[in-house]
Amino acid sequence: MTMTAGLGFKLEHLDEALTARNPGLWFEVHAENYMVDGGPRLRALAALAERFAISLHGVGLSLASVEPPAQDHLRRLRALSDLICPASISDHLAWQKWEGAHHSDFLPFPRTRQALDITADNVARVQDALGRPILVENPSLYVDLPGHELDEATFLSELARRTGCGLLVDVNNIFVSAANLRFSPETRVDAIPASLVGEIHLAGHRPDPDPASGLLIDSHDAPVSDPVWRLYQRLIERIGPRPTLIERDDAIPPFNELLLERDRAHRLLEQRMPVDA
Amino acid sequence: MLDAADFQQAFGAMLASPGMSGDPAMRRALAVHRNTARKAARDALFANYPVTAALVGDNAFSACASSYVEMLPPREARLCLYGDRFGPFVDAWAPFVEAPYLGAVAAVERMVTEALFAADWPALDPVGLTRGIDPGAPLRWHPATRTGKTLAPAGSLWLAHQPGADPDALDEVVWKQELILVTRPGDAVEVRVIDVPTRAFLAGATLADAAANASGEGGDVAAIFAALLSAGAFAAETQQGENP
Repeated sequence: MTMTAGLGFKLEHLDEALTARNPGLWFEVHAENYMVDGGPRLRALAALAERFAISLHGVGLSLASVEPPAQDHLRRLRALSDLICPASISDHLAWQKWEGAHHSDFLPFPRTRQALDITADNVARVQDALGRPILVENPSLYVDLPGHELDEATFLSELARRTGCGLLVDVNNIFVSAANLRFSPETRVDAIPASLVGEIHLAGHRPDPDPASGLLIDSHDAPVSDPVWRLYQRLIERIGPRPTLIERDDAIPPFNELLLERDRAHRLLEQRMPVDA
Repeated sequence: MLDAADFQQAFGAMLASPGMSGDPAMRRALAVHRNTARKAARDALFANYPVTAALVGDNAFSACASSYVEMLPPREARLCLYGDRFGPFVDAWAPFVEAPYLGAVAAVERMVTEALFAADWPALDPVGLTRGIDPGAPLRWHPATRTGKTLAPAGSLWLAHQPGADPDALDEVVWKQELILVTRPGDAVEVRVIDVPTRAFLAGATLADAAANASGEGGDVAAIFAALLSAGAFAAETQQGENP
């Protein structure tokens, strides 16, 4: 079965997930939650992987960091990949390491040619360690940094050309970034090279609790908004269907409610599937 | 061109000291990144220390957790393992001075987390023993097995907060030191309050040592060994002679 729309897997949904029969359903997990020595959570993921395609979505490779990815992290990710045999492995175009601490968010950087060299080197190290290409996700941006030499689409395209990686297009991140940095989300979506896209993310956002900031936050705690659905349709009408994830990491609703949202993406993808001869 | 290392150093310093940036737009972005990261780390502490949180309530726990995140931020991305020094931190947290058992409960919860994610390995079980056991062979703990001594009834408090616990269990907790055994037989982590002979048995390097230790403390060696086997405390040696 072709992967259509998937859900972020939550352990509390294990029993319902294992018995779900929705065509094209797949699951994504944050890889770091399972990069452990053993135990029941890892066994639960392995059981899920026997029934469904799994995507390992990293939140800790710090691909744009001036520090290369930690060997121990790569070793654990490889071990998890060998165990689960995921359909894809991905992480973010961002950096997270500073003075020995891990910042659990995706930090921005000026997209310079030097930054491209650093990121390409890190992506290559990751891919060498994993023995396979990864997908790199566009992050949510909250400030228009000075010093960019390349726009995001060009940076990611060049990164893919140099390393062989693919792109994970987070449509909600484009919408949030566009609102915060005041650019056209449609123009940004239209600039994504179709041939590089391996996966799409959809998620919810909300206004910053500090109303003075005027920022949108990539909060993953709400349903996908209507403008993000419209952007998504615009994207897949141009590039065709791609495995699409409904991301929900906070204020988790019941499994069936998530499935309904997921089924909406599934129907949109199904309409664009090639008809079998 | 702004050097990438210089930028990341400067941005990291601004994240650590919000007042450093004079640009309002940058300050707003820094606040979002700081809040997102701190919330993730704080949520991880709530997930990893649920009984400690239940004992003090969400607001008091959140204040303590926020301070911990500030002082001892995550060193790696695996937040499921974050908070290895939270027990001593809770012990020293001034607002909890009236609850001197909290650090001990947090210590038990840390052992539970470690046990939850420890390596898989077959446990030594009675069926395996029917093939015989060499009393002089090494008696190895299962990778998930942890023991500790707490100055408060932390094991009993932890047990009283588990699903299905007797509603009166919390009222029946007696203030005393406890010896704790944490194991992972099957798919769940289990916590037991053990006695001195059982702890002495666990300290044995071989079955003969263990039996002598427990017997020396006045324990019923057969009953203790059976209970520890049932708890999955020991690692089986594989047919290839491998050990964990």
